[in-house]
Amino acid sequence: MNRGHIVIDDVVKVYDPQGAAVLAVDHCSLEIEPGEICMIVGPSGCGKTTLLNAIAGFHEITSGRIVMDGEVLCSTEKPKSAPGPDRIVVFQNGALFPWKSNLENVIFGPVVQGKLARKDAIDKARAMLADAGLAGVERNYPGEVSSGMRRRVEIVRALMNDPKALLLDEPYRALDSLTKSVMHEALLEIYYKNKVTIFFITHDLEEAIFLGHRVAIMTTRPCKPKKILNVDIAHPRDYGVLTSKRFRELIEETNDAVHEEALKAFQAGEKEG
Amino acid sequence: MEAALRAGEANGAIAALRDATPFRDAAEALLQRIAAIARPARFGAGTRIYGANDAADDIFVLVSGRVEHVFKPEVGAREAHKRMTRGGVFGWAGLLLGQTQRLASVTATEPTEVLRLDTEELVKLLESEPLEGPLVMERFATMIQREFTLPALLAQVRRLSGPLTEEMSSISLTMYRLSLWLKSPRPYLMVIGFALFLGFWYLAVEVWKLPRFREMPGVTSVVKEWLAPEPTYGLSIYTAEYYQHIWMSVWRVTQAFFLATLLGVPVGLLLGWSRKFKQYLFPVFETLRPIPILAWVPLAIVMFIATESAVVYLAFLASFFATALNTMLGVESIDESYIRAADCLGANQWQVFRHVIIPGALPFIFTGLQISIGVSWFSLVAAEMVSGQYGLGYVINTSYMMVRYPTIIIGMATLGIVGYATSAMVRIAGDYLMEWRVRELALTER
Repeated sequence: MNRGHIVIDDVVKVYDPQGAAVLAVDHCSLEIEPGEICMIVGPSGCGKTTLLNAIAGFHEITSGRIVMDGEVLCSTEKPKSAPGPDRIVVFQNGALFPWKSNLENVIFGPVVQGKLARKDAIDKARAMLADAGLAGVERNYPGEVSSGMRRRVEIVRALMNDPKALLLDEPYRALDSLTKSVMHEALLEIYYKNKVTIFFITHDLEEAIFLGHRVAIMTTRPCKPKKILNVDIAHPRDYGVLTSKRFRELIEETNDAVHEEALKAFQAGEKEG
Repeated sequence: MEAALRAGEANGAIAALRDATPFRDAAEALLQRIAAIARPARFGAGTRIYGANDAADDIFVLVSGRVEHVFKPEVGAREAHKRMTRGGVFGWAGLLLGQTQRLASVTATEPTEVLRLDTEELVKLLESEPLEGPLVMERFATMIQREFTLPALLAQVRRLSGPLTEEMSSISLTMYRLSLWLKSPRPYLMVIGFALFLGFWYLAVEVWKLPRFREMPGVTSVVKEWLAPEPTYGLSIYTAEYYQHIWMSVWRVTQAFFLATLLGVPVGLLLGWSRKFKQYLFPVFETLRPIPILAWVPLAIVMFIATESAVVYLAFLASFFATALNTMLGVESIDESYIRAADCLGANQWQVFRHVIIPGALPFIFTGLQISIGVSWFSLVAAEMVSGQYGLGYVINTSYMMVRYPTIIIGMATLGIVGYATSAMVRIAGDYLMEWRVRELALTER
């Protein structure tokens, strides 16, 4: 399978070009292989979400281009792409519709696109939920289940559309560390069953190395890759990896780079304030 | 072959169930029904009752003996080992959301007697008990979290379907809510609140005769007049005229409120949804909104020669602004990520509007409708006092001119009661349409 190949080519994003221009993304190039888990690490506010919004089609870019599987999503000439079910975002605070039951949420994509009849969508949704260990939550509203379950339902809702890529924007930020560790394994389990490209933004280095094939450490505003780490720990992974020697070595190798950027962001924040 | 329990055994089974946390406070009738589906079983010392990852299709209640219960490590229970004696309940994994397999292995360490309950059969039985079923499930959840130290993430029980959530008739649902309400301290506090208020009125006017209160009608004279078959001033619950006034006011408010909702909600949705529309309309809107309703009276009388439509128009005007403004705020309050998520999932503009904007704004819309019905009454009475025939505002105004003080109070109290009833109806309609929100709030209140 050869889908979900994303090329970010020399992308620049300047906010507010008329007034005080802020360079958010600076000549950023990055290639994400089909079916790869690519982790983007950087301090909060470094501009990594801007990059995700450009891929998703929520924001315009200033110049450069982003190509997915040969199709130009956006470029200098056509700065904004239309969001669509081939690349679905999983949001930081979760965006399951609280007024729809979990089942109604999961079938939303295929039903509004007219790809599946309601009844077929329900059958598919039930099967996928059960497969993700979520049998029995269909009738509940998102507000009635734990935040960990909500995240999993949201990922299932995305996968219902058979996307080429999932774009995750710090989805586990608000979760406690115990839940987080369960969620990481759950995400990997889902990933092993449905190979999609995963573009995953985080500020947590351990999370990045545990999950990713590659980890791109970004510079803080403007945002561009500072260092790209190949995580040479074989998949499938489980929680044992966290205590392995290689995992610790990789952390040590990259910790300085991350810390340096965090410090820069911190000082920049002080100047602004 | 397991025979049905005989009478003596059934009593034994009920006693054993009562010793188990989830069934402790259950009614006799429910315990009898549960005992009827229970199958007794015995295990010798050292027998493994079930292993981790077996299918979780029945639940065990310990009658006598002792078992050792060991969670598999992935479960993350704070205490993995647990010894259980009479009253212990295990094998409940099938009641949890998303679980179909055993989470633990259980071994009898002494000769042990148990009652086996088929999980699905038990769930079906609990679903047929709209009052007690959910309580039993809740006690299961508490037990699993407290006694078994399971993380909250896992310890979530399934929701019962059936009567309570889907097929239960609205009457029995109302009765159920009523019985819950009567069990809470709220109604009694409410009665005390009213008693204090009326008591103060009585003392201030009739006993202490405080200055300023002296001229007011006392509570006893008002109540006497209100309930008199032949009232001194011509208005009580026995006179047809009383109901004519109520009906007139209710009918006017109803027209005004529905008209205001019919126009206000779409205008509010458009104001919130379309930036251009807002730029045209909002400044006009904000200029008209603060003008008090009484200032509209002359214009209303000029516009509508018939006083009837003038009165309704005034009540409508105030409602309309409240509804439209709150609806607009509702649309603007919707988290951008819901709209983006719908875009990602391939929804078109109209689908976003229908599936995200409208339901997302609904909580604000209903807040607006609550305010709207209130101001509708408020401006109606003002309008009725200025012009109009019949209606509660008219009663109050004419009673004042004819020095019928108790009747003024009757008119005011009736307004209070009818106004409260209409706003309660709006709230009930809102709860009905926003079940998701009622459930969410119920969870956070606990």
